[in-house]
Amino acid sequence: MTCEEARIQMLGEAEGKDFAAHLSSCEACRNEVARIGTLWQSLDLLPVEEPSGKVRERFYEMLAAYRQGLASAESRKAYRWGQLAAAAAMLAVGLGVGYVARGSGQPPAEVSQLREEVASMRQLVALSLMQQQSASERLRGVSWAYQAEPSDREVLGALVTAVNQDTNVNVRLAAVDALRRFAASPEIRRAVVDALPAQTTPLVQVALIDLLVDFKDRNAAEALTKLAANRDVNDGVRQQAQWALEKLQ
Amino acid sequence: MAEVSGGQVARLAVLFERYHRALFRYFVSMGGHREQAEDLVQEVFFRMLRYRTSYDPAQSFTAWMYQIARNAGVDQSRKRRAVVVDIDSFTGLVSGSPGPEESASRGQDLALLRRAMDQLPGDKREILVLSRFQGMKHEDIAEVLGCEVGTVKVRVYRAIRALEQIYFALEKEKVS
Amino acid sequence: MKKLMMLSAAALLAAPAALPQDPQKATVAFSDPSRPKKLVVDTMFGSVTVRGYNGQEVIVETTGRAGIRPRGRKEAEPPAGMHRIGGSYSGVEITEESNTVKVSNGPSPFAAADLVIQVPVQTSVSVNARVGDSVTIENITGEIEANNMNGQVTITNVSGSVMAHSMNGKIVANINSVTPDKAMSFSTMNGEIDVTLPASIKANVKLKTDHGDIFTDFDIKLDSKAAPPQVEDNRKRGGRYRIQFDRGTSGTINGGGPEIQFTTFNGSILIHKK
Repeated sequence: MTCEEARIQMLGEAEGKDFAAHLSSCEACRNEVARIGTLWQSLDLLPVEEPSGKVRERFYEMLAAYRQGLASAESRKAYRWGQLAAAAAMLAVGLGVGYVARGSGQPPAEVSQLREEVASMRQLVALSLMQQQSASERLRGVSWAYQAEPSDREVLGALVTAVNQDTNVNVRLAAVDALRRFAASPEIRRAVVDALPAQTTPLVQVALIDLLVDFKDRNAAEALTKLAANRDVNDGVRQQAQWALEKLQ
Repeated sequence: MAEVSGGQVARLAVLFERYHRALFRYFVSMGGHREQAEDLVQEVFFRMLRYRTSYDPAQSFTAWMYQIARNAGVDQSRKRRAVVVDIDSFTGLVSGSPGPEESASRGQDLALLRRAMDQLPGDKREILVLSRFQGMKHEDIAEVLGCEVGTVKVRVYRAIRALEQIYFALEKEKVS
Repeated sequence: MKKLMMLSAAALLAAPAALPQDPQKATVAFSDPSRPKKLVVDTMFGSVTVRGYNGQEVIVETTGRAGIRPRGRKEAEPPAGMHRIGGSYSGVEITEESNTVKVSNGPSPFAAADLVIQVPVQTSVSVNARVGDSVTIENITGEIEANNMNGQVTITNVSGSVMAHSMNGKIVANINSVTPDKAMSFSTMNGEIDVTLPASIKANVKLKTDHGDIFTDFDIKLDSKAAPPQVEDNRKRGGRYRIQFDRGTSGTINGGGPEIQFTTFNGSILIHKK
């Protein structure tokens, strides 16, 4: 193996007895491998650039606009056919008079639809992030879900699932906090009450109790009483449950 | 024109979440301002959306994406006369505090390393970026660059050799 | 998948009844160090330290606890002519698969090994210390997750995203930078949260403590929707900026940015400016 051949090998899986044999007999190559090896490793230490949040916003707006553009292209096509059909009908009837052209929805309708599209993109981000393997991504997904609408059942469902089943304490805490906005939804209130007995992590139990107090939900009284009486539950949590019961009287 | 279905939208969103940061880094490493890099990321996803039917599932997805990325980069540099390499715009992480890189010892001066990277000729820098930072397999790099797989290994080696020479030249300059 | 049984290998040394107490060391390589790397540590007892260093491999060192013996059990006398093989505690297991190195410590309470693990600086780290002692993570750039049951969590000189939780224990963190679009979260049931962030950081903060105070030298612009807190600003007198409120509130630092969540039940929250 020549020096050149050996050196090219080093950055891959430098396998083979030939490579090792060459190195053991060639000091120049040993030095080279050492120097290049160090340099190669140091590249790992260069700081990593991160894009700003604007990139995401622009992407989702582009996506929404693209769909919107398609939708209106489709409707414009339909409109044109409609026009032709009407004209043909008119001719058939023998009248040559013009008809009132239906104006295609100008900016106001399009912008509000665009906004809807952007909102639904946000929901998609939240949902896709909340299914990621990395806890940090799921935490971010919950942050995105903060802006969800009460009508968005899928996202709310995902938040409730996160409260009950996410393996990371901090993600569960964030999900409980995200549900704060939905006090008006009886389903969410029910879900929070149901989540309480199922939760075993003290910090999350406390967060659920505090949420029930903020919801002013008297339906929680039964679950709270059970929790306060349960000897297996953390003392701090039991006291918090007791306090909550008093607050909800 | 095929409609972008809800499923496809969700999929593109997932792809965006997974890859937009790596793409950004690629464009910045290839010598663009952060803003240029952000524009280019946007352009790549737009092209992926528009040309989604041209993607052959048998092909590696990353290879396809980086082919689009390279084309977008080339197109942009044709529009502007020169892609300005502004070393100051390579700002690194969000805060100004010294990061773990400062504690790297053994005389590896990271600022110098950055400058050496910036002074590498474009094609050598690119292959280092693709193999070292983007972590692409040699087969995918070969597909993106349109060369043989075996050539990739040689080119990576030549690129790091060139980097080494520039680095040590800069080091000598610093001392003198 | 590569697998290393550390102490069992050492235990094969035909040493007589004495417990091995010398530090044991093992080195594991990632399948492909140029791609994203991850370290997962799962231990029952014992302290865990993870440190970023200037290298490509994972170096695991462990020191068995001296003098730990099964309670109430006497070491059986080896039959005549024979010697014991195997220490009286189960070993540390290390596996590597697809760029994730997993280090785990057996469930036996006698397997209380203190682990010191060195990894490349750019590695994502996840530590779960089920009963635990202290968890220390330093010099890392990446996604960091730390869970400790009984013991302090200390995270210093890191960049990226941090999610730290301790049931009974203080959380101390010193962060160099937060990657944009990454959320962070610190929570503890019984204990203080003491976090230092760069002065220029932009973040949305969420703060919750049921029995504790919040101190900060940042200018946190609190959300108007929250119940008005009592704010004591003693900074001009060399003191601190103290917010006291009902239970929870949120606000922004330097205009806002990625989200940082602080939650404690019994304990205060301190947020320092670097």
